[in-house]
Amino acid sequence: MSDTILVVGEPDGPALAEATVEAVGVARQLAGPAGTVVGFVAGSGAAARAAGFAAVGVGRVLVADDPRFDQAPPAALARPAAATAEQAGASVVVLGGTTFGRDLVGSLAVAFRAAAANGVTELERSGDAVRVRRPVFSGRATEERRLTGPRAVVSVRPHTFPPANGPAVPLAVEAAPSCDLPAALLGPTRTAVAAAAQGGGPSLADAAIVVSGGRGVGAPEKFAIIDALAASLGAAVGASRAVTDAGWRPASFQVGQTGRTVSPQLYVAVGISGAIQHVIGMVSSRVIVAINNDATAPIFRVADYGIAGDLFEIVPALTAEVRRVRGK
Amino acid sequence: MEIVVCVKPVPEAESRLRANGAGTAFDPEGVKFVLAGYDESAVEQALLLKQAAPGSRVHAVALGPPGRTDEVLRASIALGCDSATAVTADVPAFHDPVATARELAEAVRGLGKVDLVLFGKHAGDDEEGLVGSAAAEALGLPFVGFVVDLRHDAGRLRFRRSVERGEETWEAPLPLAVGLQQAWNDPRTATLPAILRSRKAPIARRASGPPDAAAGSSVAERFALPPPRQGAKMIEFKSPQEAAEKLVRLLREEAKVFP
Repeated sequence: MSDTILVVGEPDGPALAEATVEAVGVARQLAGPAGTVVGFVAGSGAAARAAGFAAVGVGRVLVADDPRFDQAPPAALARPAAATAEQAGASVVVLGGTTFGRDLVGSLAVAFRAAAANGVTELERSGDAVRVRRPVFSGRATEERRLTGPRAVVSVRPHTFPPANGPAVPLAVEAAPSCDLPAALLGPTRTAVAAAAQGGGPSLADAAIVVSGGRGVGAPEKFAIIDALAASLGAAVGASRAVTDAGWRPASFQVGQTGRTVSPQLYVAVGISGAIQHVIGMVSSRVIVAINNDATAPIFRVADYGIAGDLFEIVPALTAEVRRVRGK
Repeated sequence: MEIVVCVKPVPEAESRLRANGAGTAFDPEGVKFVLAGYDESAVEQALLLKQAAPGSRVHAVALGPPGRTDEVLRASIALGCDSATAVTADVPAFHDPVATARELAEAVRGLGKVDLVLFGKHAGDDEEGLVGSAAAEALGLPFVGFVVDLRHDAGRLRFRRSVERGEETWEAPLPLAVGLQQAWNDPRTATLPAILRSRKAPIARRASGPPDAAAGSSVAERFALPPPRQGAKMIEFKSPQEAAEKLVRLLREEAKVFP
Protein backbone atom coordinates (compact mmCIF):
# COMPACT_ATOMS: atom_id res chain seq x y z
CA MET A 1 0.00 0.00 0.00
CA SER A 2 1.43 3.37 -0.85
CA ASP A 3 0.57 6.02 1.64
CA THR A 4 0.48 9.77 1.40
CA ILE A 5 1.15 11.59 4.68
CA LEU A 6 0.56 15.32 5.12
CA VAL A 7 2.68 17.34 7.55
CA VAL A 8 1.25 20.68 8.71
CA GLY A 9 4.08 23.20 9.06
CA GLU A 10 4.31 25.38 12.16
CA PRO A 11 5.82 28.82 11.58
CA ASP A 12 8.82 29.86 13.68
CA GLY A 13 9.48 33.38 12.45
CA PRO A 14 10.31 33.04 8.75
CA ALA A 15 11.29 29.37 9.13
CA LEU A 16 9.67 26.05 10.03
CA ALA A 17 9.56 25.07 13.69
CA GLU A 18 11.88 22.28 14.84
CA ALA A 19 8.80 20.28 15.91
CA THR A 20 7.66 20.26 12.26
CA VAL A 21 11.03 18.87 11.15
CA GLU A 22 10.59 16.09 13.72
CA ALA A 23 7.07 15.50 12.36
CA VAL A 24 8.53 15.13 8.84
CA GLY A 25 10.85 12.41 10.15
CA VAL A 26 7.88 10.59 11.68
CA ALA A 27 5.80 11.01 8.52
CA ARG A 28 8.56 9.56 6.36
CA GLN A 29 8.84 6.54 8.65
CA LEU A 30 5.09 6.06 8.50
CA ALA A 31 4.91 6.49 4.71
CA GLY A 32 7.59 3.86 4.16
CA PRO A 33 9.77 3.67 1.04
CA ALA A 34 6.81 3.56 -1.36
CA GLY A 35 4.89 6.38 0.31
CA THR A 36 4.94 10.12 -0.11
CA VAL A 37 5.20 12.99 2.37
CA VAL A 38 3.55 16.27 1.45
CA GLY A 39 3.87 19.59 3.31
CA PHE A 40 1.34 22.32 4.05
CA VAL A 41 2.05 25.86 5.25
CA ALA A 42 -0.18 28.88 5.69
CA GLY A 43 0.27 32.60 6.17
CA SER A 44 2.17 35.31 4.36
CA GLY A 45 5.76 34.38 3.58
CA ALA A 46 4.70 30.77 3.44
CA ALA A 47 7.00 30.21 0.46
CA ALA A 48 10.10 30.67 2.64
CA ARG A 49 8.74 28.10 5.06
CA ALA A 50 8.01 25.77 2.17
CA ALA A 51 11.75 25.87 1.46
CA GLY A 52 12.24 24.49 4.97
CA PHE A 53 10.30 21.40 3.91
CA ALA A 54 12.38 20.95 0.74
CA ALA A 55 15.58 21.24 2.80
CA VAL A 56 14.62 18.08 4.70
CA GLY A 57 13.40 16.14 1.68
CA VAL A 58 9.76 17.16 1.21
CA GLY A 59 9.50 18.72 -2.23
CA ARG A 60 5.75 18.96 -2.73
CA VAL A 61 4.35 21.70 -0.52
CA LEU A 62 0.85 23.15 -0.68
CA VAL A 63 0.74 26.74 0.39
CA ALA A 64 -2.10 28.93 1.64
CA ASP A 65 -0.28 32.23 1.14
CA ASP A 66 -2.86 34.29 2.93
CA PRO A 67 -2.09 37.00 5.51
CA ARG A 68 -5.37 36.29 7.32
CA PHE A 69 -3.62 33.33 8.96
CA ASP A 70 -0.69 35.34 10.33
CA GLN A 71 -2.34 36.37 13.60
CA ALA A 72 -5.11 33.76 13.62
CA PRO A 73 -5.37 30.88 16.08
CA PRO A 74 -3.83 27.53 15.02
CA ALA A 75 -7.29 25.93 14.99
CA ALA A 76 -8.26 28.26 12.13
CA LEU A 77 -6.02 26.16 9.88
CA ALA A 78 -8.25 23.11 10.35
CA ARG A 79 -10.39 23.56 7.25
CA PRO A 80 -7.63 24.59 4.83
CA ALA A 81 -5.42 21.76 6.14
CA ALA A 82 -8.28 19.26 5.78
CA ALA A 83 -9.00 20.43 2.22
CA THR A 84 -5.28 20.10 1.45
CA ALA A 85 -5.12 16.59 2.90
CA GLU A 86 -8.16 15.72 0.80
CA GLN A 87 -6.60 17.08 -2.39
CA ALA A 88 -3.26 15.39 -1.74
CA GLY A 89 -5.04 12.09 -1.08
CA ALA A 90 -3.47 11.88 2.38
CA SER A 91 -4.60 9.22 4.84
CA VAL A 92 -2.69 10.57 7.84
CA VAL A 93 -1.83 14.11 8.95
CA VAL A 94 1.15 14.54 11.31
CA LEU A 95 1.94 17.66 13.35
CA GLY A 96 4.51 18.60 15.98
CA GLY A 97 2.88 18.35 19.42
CA THR A 98 3.60 21.93 20.45
CA THR A 99 0.93 24.40 21.59
CA PHE A 100 0.38 25.05 17.86
CA GLY A 101 -0.11 21.39 16.97
CA ARG A 102 -2.10 20.52 20.06
CA ASP A 103 -4.54 23.38 19.42
CA LEU A 104 -5.05 22.22 15.84
CA VAL A 105 -5.35 18.43 16.15
CA GLY A 106 -8.93 18.32 17.45
CA SER A 107 -10.42 20.79 14.99
CA LEU A 108 -8.51 19.21 12.11
CA ALA A 109 -9.78 15.74 13.12
CA VAL A 110 -13.39 16.97 12.92
CA ALA A 111 -12.84 18.85 9.64
CA PHE A 112 -11.04 15.85 8.09
CA ARG A 113 -13.42 13.30 9.69
CA ALA A 114 -10.50 11.44 11.19
CA ALA A 115 -9.60 9.70 14.42
CA ALA A 116 -6.97 11.62 16.38
CA ALA A 117 -4.34 11.45 19.11
CA ASN A 118 -2.22 14.16 20.73
CA GLY A 119 1.35 13.96 21.98
CA VAL A 120 2.25 10.46 20.84
CA THR A 121 5.69 9.00 21.55
CA GLU A 122 5.50 5.97 19.25
CA LEU A 123 3.44 5.17 16.19
CA GLU A 124 3.27 2.58 13.47
CA ARG A 125 1.08 1.47 10.58
CA SER A 126 -1.13 -1.49 11.29
CA GLY A 127 -3.00 -2.28 8.10
CA ASP A 128 -5.47 0.51 7.53
CA ALA A 129 -5.07 1.80 11.08
CA VAL A 130 -2.36 3.73 12.90
CA ARG A 131 -1.28 2.40 16.28
CA VAL A 132 -0.01 5.00 18.71
CA ARG A 133 1.50 4.95 22.15
CA ARG A 134 1.32 7.95 24.46
CA PRO A 135 2.04 8.79 28.08
CA VAL A 136 -1.03 9.32 30.29
CA PHE A 137 -1.57 10.25 33.95
CA SER A 138 1.38 12.70 33.88
CA GLY A 139 3.71 10.00 32.60
CA ARG A 140 2.77 7.53 35.33
CA ALA A 141 1.34 5.15 32.73
CA THR A 142 1.23 4.67 28.97
CA GLU A 143 -1.63 3.77 26.71
CA GLU A 144 -1.74 2.29 23.25
CA ARG A 145 -4.58 3.16 20.95
CA ARG A 146 -5.61 2.10 17.50
CA LEU A 147 -6.81 4.91 15.27
CA THR A 148 -9.05 3.01 12.93
CA GLY A 149 -8.91 3.94 9.28
CA PRO A 150 -9.17 5.33 6.86
CA ARG A 151 -7.98 8.65 8.29
CA ALA A 152 -5.93 9.78 11.27
CA VAL A 153 -4.54 13.04 12.66
CA VAL A 154 -1.64 12.74 15.09
CA SER A 155 0.60 15.19 16.93
CA VAL A 156 3.98 13.87 18.04
CA ARG A 157 5.58 14.81 21.33
CA PRO A 158 8.44 17.30 20.84
CA HIS A 159 12.04 16.14 21.48
CA THR A 160 11.00 12.51 21.15
CA PHE A 161 11.66 11.72 17.51
CA PRO A 162 14.84 12.61 15.59
CA PRO A 163 14.39 15.50 13.16
CA ALA A 164 14.30 14.64 9.45
CA ASN A 165 17.67 15.37 7.89
CA GLY A 166 17.15 15.42 4.18
CA PRO A 167 18.49 14.91 1.62
CA ALA A 168 17.30 18.24 0.23
CA VAL A 169 15.09 18.06 -2.83
CA PRO A 170 13.85 20.67 -5.33
CA LEU A 171 10.84 22.60 -4.09
CA ALA A 172 7.55 22.36 -5.97
CA VAL A 173 5.07 24.81 -4.46
CA GLU A 174 1.37 24.52 -5.24
CA ALA A 175 -1.50 26.67 -4.06
CA ALA A 176 -3.54 24.92 -1.40
CA PRO A 177 -7.15 24.32 -2.44
CA SER A 178 -9.65 26.96 -1.42
CA CYS A 179 -12.18 26.01 1.22
CA ASP A 180 -15.20 27.41 2.96
CA LEU A 181 -13.74 29.41 5.84
CA PRO A 182 -16.29 31.61 7.61
CA ALA A 183 -14.86 34.92 8.83
CA ALA A 184 -15.92 34.06 12.39
CA LEU A 185 -13.29 31.32 12.59
CA LEU A 186 -10.66 33.98 11.95
CA GLY A 187 -12.14 36.31 14.59
CA PRO A 188 -9.60 35.79 17.39
CA THR A 189 -6.50 37.89 16.70
CA ARG A 190 -3.05 37.81 18.23
CA THR A 191 -2.14 41.41 19.02
CA ALA A 192 1.28 41.01 20.72
CA VAL A 193 3.94 38.46 21.67
CA ALA A 194 6.21 38.78 24.71
CA ALA A 195 9.25 36.55 25.29
CA ALA A 196 9.05 34.34 28.38
CA ALA A 197 10.37 35.72 31.67
CA GLN A 198 12.90 32.89 31.98
CA GLY A 199 16.15 34.81 31.65
CA GLY A 200 18.01 34.19 28.42
CA GLY A 201 17.67 30.40 28.22
CA PRO A 202 15.10 28.23 26.51
CA SER A 203 11.59 28.08 27.97
CA LEU A 204 10.61 25.35 30.40
CA ALA A 205 7.96 23.96 28.11
CA ASP A 206 10.23 23.01 25.22
CA ALA A 207 13.72 22.79 26.71
CA ALA A 208 15.71 19.60 26.06
CA ILE A 209 17.42 20.02 29.44
CA VAL A 210 15.88 21.43 32.65
CA VAL A 211 17.73 22.29 35.87
CA SER A 212 15.42 22.81 38.86
CA GLY A 213 16.19 24.10 42.33
CA GLY A 214 14.26 23.35 45.51
CA ARG A 215 14.09 24.31 49.14
CA GLY A 216 17.61 22.95 49.68
CA VAL A 217 19.04 25.90 47.76
CA GLY A 218 18.28 27.83 50.94
CA ALA A 219 17.77 31.43 49.83
CA PRO A 220 16.75 33.38 46.72
CA GLU A 221 20.21 34.89 46.15
CA LYS A 222 21.79 31.43 46.24
CA PHE A 223 19.66 30.43 43.24
CA ALA A 224 22.42 31.92 41.10
CA ILE A 225 24.27 28.58 41.21
CA ILE A 226 21.22 26.92 39.61
CA ASP A 227 21.16 29.61 36.92
CA ALA A 228 24.88 29.09 36.27
CA LEU A 229 24.54 25.31 35.90
CA ALA A 230 21.56 25.79 33.58
CA ALA A 231 23.49 28.32 31.49
CA SER A 232 26.42 25.91 31.11
CA LEU A 233 24.04 23.19 29.86
CA GLY A 234 21.89 25.47 27.70
CA ALA A 235 19.03 24.41 29.96
CA ALA A 236 15.82 26.03 31.19
CA VAL A 237 15.52 26.81 34.89
CA GLY A 238 12.69 25.30 36.93
CA ALA A 239 11.79 25.27 40.59
CA SER A 240 9.85 23.24 43.12
CA ARG A 241 6.68 24.55 44.67
CA ALA A 242 8.54 25.39 47.90
CA VAL A 243 10.63 27.88 45.92
CA THR A 244 7.77 29.54 44.05
CA ASP A 245 5.54 29.62 47.15
CA ALA A 246 8.37 31.38 49.03
CA GLY A 247 8.57 33.91 46.19
CA TRP A 248 12.20 33.14 45.31
CA ARG A 249 11.07 32.64 41.72
CA PRO A 250 7.78 33.50 39.93
CA ALA A 251 5.06 30.85 39.67
CA SER A 252 5.86 30.36 35.97
CA PHE A 253 9.02 28.47 37.04
CA GLN A 254 7.12 25.83 38.97
CA VAL A 255 7.42 22.21 37.87
CA GLY A 256 4.84 19.87 39.39
CA GLN A 257 1.22 18.96 39.69
CA THR A 258 0.10 22.56 40.15
CA GLY A 259 2.74 23.97 37.78
CA ARG A 260 4.14 22.73 34.52
CA THR A 261 4.69 19.16 33.45
CA VAL A 262 8.00 18.81 31.64
CA SER A 263 9.60 15.86 29.88
CA PRO A 264 13.05 16.91 28.75
CA GLN A 265 15.86 14.59 27.72
CA LEU A 266 17.66 15.46 30.96
CA TYR A 267 16.19 16.76 34.22
CA VAL A 268 18.54 17.83 37.02
CA ALA A 269 16.86 18.21 40.44
CA VAL A 270 18.96 20.17 42.90
CA GLY A 271 18.03 20.41 46.57
CA ILE A 272 14.59 18.92 45.82
CA SER A 273 13.32 16.27 48.22
CA GLY A 274 10.98 14.61 45.71
CA ALA A 275 7.46 15.17 47.01
CA ILE A 276 4.85 13.49 44.78
CA GLN A 277 3.56 16.98 43.89
CA HIS A 278 6.89 17.69 42.16
CA VAL A 279 7.55 14.19 40.83
CA ILE A 280 4.28 14.18 38.85
CA GLY A 281 5.61 17.15 36.87
CA MET A 282 8.95 15.63 35.85
CA VAL A 283 8.86 11.85 36.12
CA SER A 284 8.46 11.35 32.37
CA SER A 285 11.83 13.03 31.71
CA ARG A 286 14.15 10.65 29.87
CA VAL A 287 17.09 10.87 32.30
CA ILE A 288 16.83 12.28 35.82
CA VAL A 289 19.75 13.42 37.97
CA ALA A 290 19.28 14.27 41.66
CA ILE A 291 21.68 16.21 43.84
CA ASN A 292 20.68 16.36 47.51
CA ASN A 293 22.54 16.24 50.81
CA ASP A 294 20.03 13.77 52.25
CA ALA A 295 20.85 10.32 50.84
CA THR A 296 17.41 9.05 51.92
CA ALA A 297 15.45 11.76 50.04
CA PRO A 298 12.64 10.22 47.91
CA ILE A 299 13.94 12.02 44.80
CA PHE A 300 16.68 9.34 44.59
CA ARG A 301 13.99 6.71 44.04
CA VAL A 302 12.85 8.31 40.77
CA ALA A 303 16.29 9.51 39.64
CA ASP A 304 18.63 7.59 37.32
CA TYR A 305 21.79 9.10 38.78
CA GLY A 306 22.24 10.49 42.27
CA ILE A 307 24.84 12.50 44.10
CA ALA A 308 24.34 12.67 47.86
CA GLY A 309 26.39 15.68 48.85
CA ASP A 310 26.53 19.38 49.57
CA LEU A 311 24.90 21.07 46.60
CA PHE A 312 26.92 24.24 47.20
CA GLU A 313 30.07 22.22 46.47
CA ILE A 314 28.71 19.81 43.86
CA VAL A 315 26.80 22.24 41.65
CA PRO A 316 29.69 24.70 41.02
CA ALA A 317 32.01 21.73 40.35
CA LEU A 318 29.47 20.34 37.89
CA THR A 319 29.10 23.70 36.17
CA ALA A 320 32.88 23.90 35.77
CA GLU A 321 33.08 20.34 34.44
CA VAL A 322 30.29 20.96 31.91
CA ARG A 323 32.01 24.12 30.73
CA ARG A 324 35.32 22.25 30.45
CA VAL A 325 33.77 19.43 28.41
CA ARG A 326 31.75 21.75 26.22
CA GLY A 327 34.74 24.01 25.68
CA LYS A 328 36.56 21.24 23.83
CA MET B 1 -23.20 36.33 28.53
CA GLU B 2 -24.25 32.70 28.22
CA ILE B 3 -21.18 30.74 29.27
CA VAL B 4 -20.75 26.96 29.01
CA VAL B 5 -18.04 25.05 30.87
CA CYS B 6 -17.38 21.49 29.73
CA VAL B 7 -16.11 19.49 32.67
CA LYS B 8 -14.73 15.96 32.84
CA PRO B 9 -14.82 13.46 35.68
CA VAL B 10 -11.28 12.15 36.21
CA PRO B 11 -9.79 9.79 38.80
CA GLU B 12 -8.62 11.52 41.97
CA ALA B 13 -4.93 12.45 41.76
CA GLU B 14 -3.94 9.93 44.43
CA SER B 15 -5.78 7.06 42.72
CA ARG B 16 -3.95 3.80 42.36
CA LEU B 17 -3.31 3.16 38.67
CA ARG B 18 -4.12 -0.30 37.48
CA ALA B 19 -5.04 -1.84 34.13
CA ASN B 20 -8.43 -3.51 33.73
CA GLY B 21 -8.73 -7.28 33.37
CA ALA B 22 -8.21 -7.18 29.62
CA GLY B 23 -5.21 -4.87 30.01
CA THR B 24 -6.71 -2.44 27.51
CA ALA B 25 -7.50 0.57 29.69
CA PHE B 26 -7.36 2.10 33.14
CA ASP B 27 -9.41 0.15 35.68
CA PRO B 28 -12.01 2.50 37.21
CA GLU B 29 -13.13 -0.06 39.80
CA GLY B 30 -13.25 1.50 43.26
CA VAL B 31 -11.84 4.81 41.99
CA LYS B 32 -13.37 8.15 43.02
CA PHE B 33 -13.97 10.51 40.10
CA VAL B 34 -13.61 14.26 40.64
CA LEU B 35 -13.57 17.48 38.62
CA ALA B 36 -10.37 17.60 36.50
CA GLY B 37 -7.85 20.18 37.75
CA TYR B 38 -7.83 22.31 34.60
CA ASP B 39 -11.62 22.15 34.50
CA GLU B 40 -11.73 23.57 38.02
CA SER B 41 -9.75 26.54 36.66
CA ALA B 42 -12.23 26.76 33.78
CA VAL B 43 -15.18 26.87 36.19
CA GLU B 44 -13.42 29.56 38.22
CA GLN B 45 -12.80 31.57 35.05
CA ALA B 46 -16.46 31.27 34.06
CA LEU B 47 -17.59 32.46 37.49
CA LEU B 48 -15.19 35.43 37.39
CA LEU B 49 -16.61 36.44 34.00
CA LYS B 50 -20.12 36.09 35.35
CA GLN B 51 -19.32 38.33 38.31
CA ALA B 52 -17.91 40.96 35.95
CA ALA B 53 -20.95 40.84 33.64
CA PRO B 54 -24.11 40.71 35.77
CA GLY B 55 -26.95 38.79 34.20
CA SER B 56 -24.58 36.19 32.79
CA ARG B 57 -25.27 32.51 33.31
CA VAL B 58 -22.86 29.61 33.57
CA HIS B 59 -23.89 26.15 32.35
CA ALA B 60 -21.85 23.05 33.19
CA VAL B 61 -21.84 20.10 30.77
CA ALA B 62 -20.24 16.70 31.38
CA LEU B 63 -20.16 13.36 29.56
CA GLY B 64 -19.90 9.89 31.01
CA PRO B 65 -21.75 7.34 33.12
CA PRO B 66 -24.37 9.08 35.32
CA GLY B 67 -22.58 8.40 38.62
CA ARG B 68 -19.45 10.19 37.47
CA THR B 69 -21.06 13.08 35.59
CA ASP B 70 -23.40 13.89 38.48
CA GLU B 71 -20.48 14.08 40.89
CA VAL B 72 -18.64 16.73 38.87
CA LEU B 73 -21.79 18.58 37.81
CA ARG B 74 -22.93 18.91 41.43
CA ALA B 75 -19.42 20.08 42.35
CA SER B 76 -19.71 22.72 39.58
CA ILE B 77 -23.12 23.84 40.84
CA ALA B 78 -21.79 24.05 44.41
CA LEU B 79 -19.07 26.37 43.11
CA GLY B 80 -21.67 28.65 41.50
CA CYS B 81 -22.70 27.29 38.09
CA ASP B 82 -26.37 27.95 37.28
CA SER B 83 -27.33 24.79 35.43
CA ALA B 84 -26.00 21.34 34.61
CA THR B 85 -26.38 18.95 31.67
CA ALA B 86 -25.20 15.35 31.72
CA VAL B 87 -24.60 13.53 28.46
CA THR B 88 -25.14 9.96 29.47
CA ALA B 89 -22.71 7.64 27.78
CA ASP B 90 -21.67 4.29 29.07
CA VAL B 91 -18.13 5.05 28.05
CA PRO B 92 -15.10 2.91 28.58
CA ALA B 93 -12.50 4.36 30.92
CA PHE B 94 -10.69 5.94 28.00
CA HIS B 95 -13.24 7.08 25.47
CA ASP B 96 -12.55 8.34 21.96
CA PRO B 97 -11.89 12.08 22.42
CA VAL B 98 -13.21 13.14 19.00
CA ALA B 99 -16.47 11.26 19.58
CA THR B 100 -16.68 12.87 23.03
CA ALA B 101 -16.24 16.28 21.43
CA ARG B 102 -19.05 15.66 18.92
CA GLU B 103 -21.40 14.64 21.72
CA LEU B 104 -20.48 17.64 23.89
CA ALA B 105 -20.99 19.92 20.88
CA GLU B 106 -24.52 18.52 20.42
CA ALA B 107 -25.26 19.15 24.10
CA VAL B 108 -23.96 22.73 23.86
CA ARG B 109 -26.06 23.32 20.75
CA GLY B 110 -29.07 22.12 22.73
CA LEU B 111 -28.58 24.95 25.23
CA GLY B 112 -29.53 27.57 22.65
CA LYS B 113 -27.60 30.82 22.23
CA VAL B 114 -24.12 30.48 23.70
CA ASP B 115 -21.43 33.21 23.79
CA LEU B 116 -18.48 31.40 25.28
CA VAL B 117 -17.56 27.73 25.70
CA LEU B 118 -14.73 26.96 28.13
CA PHE B 119 -12.63 23.80 28.42
CA GLY B 120 -9.73 22.87 30.66
CA LYS B 121 -6.46 22.54 28.75
CA HIS B 122 -6.57 18.80 29.17
CA ALA B 123 -7.77 16.27 31.72
CA GLY B 124 -5.25 14.77 34.12
CA ASP B 125 -5.99 11.21 33.02
CA ASP B 126 -5.72 10.75 29.26
CA GLU B 127 -4.15 14.18 28.64
CA GLU B 128 -5.35 14.29 25.04
CA GLY B 129 -6.29 17.96 25.18
CA LEU B 130 -8.12 17.80 21.88
CA VAL B 131 -11.77 17.75 22.95
CA GLY B 132 -11.96 21.57 23.14
CA SER B 133 -10.77 22.31 19.63
CA ALA B 134 -12.72 19.36 18.19
CA ALA B 135 -15.96 20.47 19.87
CA ALA B 136 -15.38 24.04 18.67
CA GLU B 137 -15.02 22.88 15.06
CA ALA B 138 -18.16 20.76 15.42
CA LEU B 139 -19.98 23.87 16.69
CA GLY B 140 -18.48 26.11 13.98
CA LEU B 141 -16.82 28.27 16.65
CA PRO B 142 -13.29 29.66 16.61
CA PHE B 143 -11.00 28.06 19.21
CA VAL B 144 -7.95 29.26 21.13
CA GLY B 145 -6.15 27.00 23.62
CA PHE B 146 -3.51 27.46 26.35
CA VAL B 147 -5.36 30.60 27.44
CA VAL B 148 -4.81 32.46 30.71
CA ASP B 149 -6.55 35.44 32.26
CA LEU B 150 -9.69 35.88 30.18
CA ARG B 151 -11.47 39.24 30.45
CA HIS B 152 -14.67 40.52 28.91
CA ASP B 153 -14.52 44.06 27.64
CA ALA B 154 -17.35 45.71 25.70
CA GLY B 155 -18.46 42.66 23.74
CA ARG B 156 -14.95 41.39 23.12
CA LEU B 157 -12.70 39.04 25.04
CA ARG B 158 -9.10 39.86 25.88
CA PHE B 159 -6.74 37.19 27.07
CA ARG B 160 -3.21 35.88 27.04
CA ARG B 161 -1.99 32.59 25.60
CA SER B 162 0.95 30.79 27.16
CA VAL B 163 3.20 29.25 24.48
CA GLU B 164 6.68 27.67 24.33
CA ARG B 165 8.61 30.85 23.83
CA GLY B 166 6.58 33.31 25.82
CA GLU B 167 3.18 34.78 26.12
CA GLU B 168 0.86 36.13 23.46
CA THR B 169 -1.86 38.74 23.85
CA TRP B 170 -5.15 38.10 22.06
CA GLU B 171 -8.53 39.60 21.52
CA ALA B 172 -11.61 38.00 20.06
CA PRO B 173 -15.26 38.75 19.34
CA LEU B 174 -17.96 36.46 20.71
CA PRO B 175 -18.93 33.69 20.28
CA LEU B 176 -15.76 31.79 21.02
CA ALA B 177 -14.45 28.52 22.48
CA VAL B 178 -11.38 28.54 24.70
CA GLY B 179 -9.06 25.97 26.32
CA LEU B 180 -7.68 27.20 29.64
CA GLN B 181 -4.32 26.69 31.30
CA GLN B 182 -4.41 25.97 35.00
CA ALA B 183 -2.80 27.61 37.99
CA TRP B 184 -3.20 31.21 36.91
CA ASN B 185 -6.29 31.55 38.97
CA ASP B 186 -6.81 30.18 42.45
CA PRO B 187 -10.08 28.23 42.24
CA ARG B 188 -12.59 28.96 45.01
CA THR B 189 -13.84 26.19 47.26
CA ALA B 190 -17.53 25.50 47.70
CA THR B 191 -19.22 26.38 50.99
CA LEU B 192 -20.96 23.64 52.95
CA PRO B 193 -24.48 25.09 52.41
CA ALA B 194 -23.77 25.31 48.66
CA ILE B 195 -22.60 21.70 48.61
CA LEU B 196 -25.76 20.60 50.42
CA ARG B 197 -27.97 22.62 48.03
CA SER B 198 -26.16 21.17 45.01
CA ARG B 199 -27.21 17.66 46.11
CA LYS B 200 -30.79 18.56 45.23
CA ALA B 201 -30.08 20.62 42.09
CA PRO B 202 -31.71 19.40 38.88
CA ILE B 203 -29.48 17.87 36.20
CA ALA B 204 -30.73 17.86 32.61
CA ARG B 205 -29.96 14.61 30.81
CA ARG B 206 -29.26 13.77 27.20
CA ALA B 207 -28.42 10.45 25.65
CA SER B 208 -25.34 10.36 23.47
CA GLY B 209 -25.99 10.02 19.77
CA PRO B 210 -24.78 7.39 17.30
CA PRO B 211 -21.09 7.60 16.37
CA ASP B 212 -19.97 9.02 13.01
CA ALA B 213 -19.27 5.68 11.38
CA ALA B 214 -17.38 7.20 8.46
CA ALA B 215 -14.94 9.05 10.66
CA GLY B 216 -12.92 6.23 12.20
CA SER B 217 -12.31 6.05 15.89
CA SER B 218 -9.69 5.86 18.58
CA VAL B 219 -9.79 2.55 20.42
CA ALA B 220 -7.88 1.88 23.65
CA GLU B 221 -5.87 -1.31 23.22
CA ARG B 222 -3.38 -1.44 26.04
CA PHE B 223 -2.76 0.33 29.35
CA ALA B 224 0.62 -0.20 30.93
CA LEU B 225 2.48 0.99 33.99
CA PRO B 226 6.20 1.55 33.61
CA PRO B 227 8.39 -0.94 35.45
CA PRO B 228 9.19 0.51 38.87
CA ARG B 229 12.29 2.67 38.75
CA GLN B 230 15.34 0.89 40.08
CA GLY B 231 16.36 3.89 42.16
CA ALA B 232 19.29 6.11 41.31
CA LYS B 233 22.75 4.86 40.57
CA MET B 234 24.55 6.69 43.40
CA ILE B 235 27.87 8.24 42.49
CA GLU B 236 30.74 7.59 44.93
CA PHE B 237 33.20 10.42 45.26
CA LYS B 238 35.99 11.87 47.39
CA SER B 239 35.76 15.41 46.06
CA PRO B 240 33.08 17.51 44.37
CA GLN B 241 35.27 17.55 41.25
CA GLU B 242 35.32 13.77 41.15
CA ALA B 243 31.52 13.64 41.53
CA ALA B 244 31.12 16.13 38.68
CA GLU B 245 33.52 14.27 36.38
CA LYS B 246 31.86 10.91 37.02
CA LEU B 247 28.38 12.30 36.45
CA VAL B 248 29.28 14.05 33.21
CA ARG B 249 30.98 10.88 31.95
CA LEU B 250 27.87 8.79 32.74
CA LEU B 251 25.58 11.30 31.08
CA ARG B 252 27.72 11.31 27.95
CA GLU B 253 28.69 7.67 27.63
CA GLU B 254 25.94 5.69 29.34
CA ALA B 255 22.81 7.85 29.20
CA LYS B 256 23.96 9.59 26.01
CA VAL B 257 22.04 12.76 26.76
CA PHE B 258 24.85 15.23 26.85
CA PRO B 259 26.35 17.17 25.27
